[in-house]
Amino acid sequence: MADKKVKHSPIGSLQPKIDDILEWNNLDFTPATKEEKEDFIQQRKSVSYWRDAWRRLRKNTVAMVAMCVLIVIVLFGFLGPVLVPYGYEEFNKGAENLHPWHYTLEDQARVNAVIEERTGSAALDPEEAVAQAIAEAEAKGETLSAVQQAKIRANAKAAAEKAATEGSEGLSTKEEDVRAELGVKAKLGGYSNNELQRIANGEKVFPHLFGTDKFGRDIMVRVMIGTRVSMIVGVCAALLVLVIGALYGSISGYAGGMVDTVMQRIVEVIYSIPEVLVILLLAAMLSPVIQEYSSSGGLLSGLTTVLGANLISMFIAFGILYWVGMSRIIRGQVLQIKQQEYVTAARALGASSGRIIRRHLLPNCIGQIVVTTCLQIPSAIFLESFLSFLGVGVNAPMTSLGSMASEALQGLYSYPYRLLFPAIILSVMILSFNLFGDGLRDALDPRLKK
Amino acid sequence: MVKYTIKRVLMAVLTVFIVACITFFLMNAAPGNPWLAEKTPPQSVIDALNEKYGLDKPLPEQFAKYMNNLIHGDFGVSIKTQKNRPVMDIIVEKFPLSAQLGIMAVAWAVVVGVPLGCLAAYKRGKLIDSILRVVCTLGVSLPGFVVASVLLVVFCGGIESLNFFPGTFSPANGIRGYILPCFCLGLYPMCYIARLTRSSMLDAINQEYVKTARAKGLKTGKIIFKHALRNALIPVITYLGPLTAFTLCGGFVVEKVFGIPGLGKFFVQSVQALDYPLIMGTVIFLATFIVFMNLMVDLLYKVVDPRINLAKGGN
Repeated sequence: MADKKVKHSPIGSLQPKIDDILEWNNLDFTPATKEEKEDFIQQRKSVSYWRDAWRRLRKNTVAMVAMCVLIVIVLFGFLGPVLVPYGYEEFNKGAENLHPWHYTLEDQARVNAVIEERTGSAALDPEEAVAQAIAEAEAKGETLSAVQQAKIRANAKAAAEKAATEGSEGLSTKEEDVRAELGVKAKLGGYSNNELQRIANGEKVFPHLFGTDKFGRDIMVRVMIGTRVSMIVGVCAALLVLVIGALYGSISGYAGGMVDTVMQRIVEVIYSIPEVLVILLLAAMLSPVIQEYSSSGGLLSGLTTVLGANLISMFIAFGILYWVGMSRIIRGQVLQIKQQEYVTAARALGASSGRIIRRHLLPNCIGQIVVTTCLQIPSAIFLESFLSFLGVGVNAPMTSLGSMASEALQGLYSYPYRLLFPAIILSVMILSFNLFGDGLRDALDPRLKK
Repeated sequence: MVKYTIKRVLMAVLTVFIVACITFFLMNAAPGNPWLAEKTPPQSVIDALNEKYGLDKPLPEQFAKYMNNLIHGDFGVSIKTQKNRPVMDIIVEKFPLSAQLGIMAVAWAVVVGVPLGCLAAYKRGKLIDSILRVVCTLGVSLPGFVVASVLLVVFCGGIESLNFFPGTFSPANGIRGYILPCFCLGLYPMCYIARLTRSSMLDAINQEYVKTARAKGLKTGKIIFKHALRNALIPVITYLGPLTAFTLCGGFVVEKVFGIPGLGKFFVQSVQALDYPLIMGTVIFLATFIVFMNLMVDLLYKVVDPRINLAKGGN
């Protein structure tokens, strides 16, 4: 029988020939060297999915830069307010409408002295000029008519105005011009005169690096808090979407049949709802409800006071409408994965549906889940700033980047940086999340790379 | 096809109905009432006002009455923002401006976005592709109000030599007043469309029929625009539905920054003032419009690409 088997497999059987085995013994076997052993071990070392992804991600310069920027922004938002000695709601008296730069007290004194010098010798006060003219006329034995008096008054007024703008020798008395003439340079960081005096007295005063708004609130701290709010909204909304979407999508995909059909009809309806419209309504309408609830002292009122009514209403709005995209993606993945043999094997071994979903289906679409969640964050931040800008999102006393930009619109031409600082941070944040998400997608699922 | 169309129309009606329900019960759940002002009127006046506008009835009854009126084409009258003016009147007055702006924005987004996407795909991996990628990623990352306000500072104020455009919108300024708002509104869709076109174009270029066309000796331009682009445009067409929603809602922000008296500004005002009929009217109108556009796009999809089997709801 054994001979027959060997004969029947001309390509080569798994059973070695006796002659070959005898020949092996004639070969020189030498023990492997240390390097060979190590080489062997290294070759065999299995690279885990995450390590592999991390290796690919690390090669992606753009994604790494984006990640570093994000880390810096997180530090800015979460650590910043602790380090800066101003509160985001604190009204710094005497420091209203500061620019992000200042002039030292000496420079200010010099500029003021020049301006005074130039305007001081200027033409007489109109009334004085008239009185002088009357006196002169009387000395000559004449009287001035009312019309003549008015003429003199008007002339004097014009001369005074001219002096105020040009100075007596045709020199400017505008502050900016005098500063340029004297070569006075602005120094970084906004200080009020009061604070400059305190510095002169030897105190240490933290500068208003981004200036202050019309109530004297430090803009830098407000930007930090706004960054924090945006981050929290983005991450929490994305997590909320993840949980609801993953549950719904995996159940729908795994169950199939009638359940799937019904669940997908629901998804279709929600998908076609104009979400921004409804979220706008939800955010505007829910927040007073939650406000009332948190002051009523109910079961969860502590939580609602901590987070603020506006944030919670925004989360609810996201939770109701935004999970649909995520659930579709996960359903698609689950539909593919559930055909695999290991799922059949698990079912044959008697694993429950819940266990199969938890242990087999979800972990196998983790790449897609992570990427979608990461790309959900910037869109949530985008929407939050959109709502806040329109005045229905986060509002007083809380602040956010969107509402700061909205406030800055009023004094846009005089104080453009009030808009610029929050806008830059917001844009950089969204951009970094987008770039990082793209990088993550390439790293986690190289097949998708284009 | 007929069956599918009927099904989709029914779905669309259902969607609008659900949006109407959500809006109705949500706005009534919000505390406060439309009569709250700096000087709150006495209770007797409030009662009289409530009775006049039918707000004293139970909610389901109010809802049924409103829906009944709606089917007969009656959107009710504004109770606060523009007292006693029919809601339909207000929409008819305000919407054309928003629509004009939206159409112009979508037009420039498509006209510029598609060729840019083609260019990036054709020059894949070259410098121009990288530049376009950076620009487009930036474009989809900048919130509309940031772009709008920065443009406002640069072109309508701060730098005098660049003051080409009027800062606030008025019909007297003619076309120049539209340029900046349209640019802002269309920037995001333009970048999105360019990205979309690039990736679908890359797919299309690698197809067999492109090779065949090349083997036949066709010119590159003809291959790209006549053969590949037709297939590459399908994802772009599907995006036109969501794009409508985006331009209408994104328009709110642009209208606020440039002071354009469109529907968006009005809608936000009415939400904050709890002007119930006006909120309902505007939401239902906008939702119907958006859902209708989605429907049209889905049906158009079939016309553009006959291979798609809609009845199966293929993905």
